[in-house]
Amino acid sequence: MNPEMLDARIVDIAEGGIDAAAALDFVSDPRFGGLACFVGKVRAQNLGRVVTGISYQVHAALACNLFRGFAERAVQAVDCELKLSIVHATGRLAVGDVAVVVAAGTPHRDEAFRACRMVIEAVKHEAPIWKREHYEDGDSAWSEGCSLCETSREHDAGHARGQHHGHGHG
Amino acid sequence: MIVTLTLYGALGDAAADGRVTLTLDHGARVADARQALTEHARAHWSDPRESLLARSAFASDSAVLREHDAVPDNGQLSVLPPVSGG
Repeated sequence: MNPEMLDARIVDIAEGGIDAAAALDFVSDPRFGGLACFVGKVRAQNLGRVVTGISYQVHAALACNLFRGFAERAVQAVDCELKLSIVHATGRLAVGDVAVVVAAGTPHRDEAFRACRMVIEAVKHEAPIWKREHYEDGDSAWSEGCSLCETSREHDAGHARGQHHGHGHG
Repeated sequence: MIVTLTLYGALGDAAADGRVTLTLDHGARVADARQALTEHARAHWSDPRESLLARSAFASDSAVLREHDAVPDNGQLSVLPPVSGG
């Protein structure tokens, strides 16, 4: 993917939040009539517990490299011109803060929807990002997640089909 | 070779400053690093977290590695427990 077509970044929440409007601006282009955007926010509950915030840890160098790979896969899948913005937060976020934005711009809507969905699923299941939930009673816990280990992935895939886990958005 | 493993997520507080330094044979592969880290955890961690280590991947700064891949020449490995972005 042409580097000018991709905005892949990790944003330290201490240095400012993620701007979804800026992501949409990035993927806007006179050639594109379809823009799709996913915004993931920290929500106030998970698995019956009241959540007060989430601390995200990110392996930034690896994450940005993998984001480029996700973008390449999306280009192959939609087989058309595509601009993508993939931005994830790191640091401690409060309820309502934006944790992740994926925006896609393509000539038509179907490709934009598909690329956006494909990339956010990859970010959630394959990117080196970890979240620690903080609860109202002062406790905190790392969320369960998806293994990147080749010997565990098949097991996790079957598990994910059977039940939803973690603090997912939307 | 001296290898420094940086621990992420739920593994991060298992070792001081989130890092473990191990000595591996020259030409070691990721599977060797996994075995050495598991043995180190049994010997030195109050909770060796073997199940979590078994489900963790190993990576360089640019790619997730497979078990048969060689340990990077720079001796730097990241240990990635199951991920939960988004």
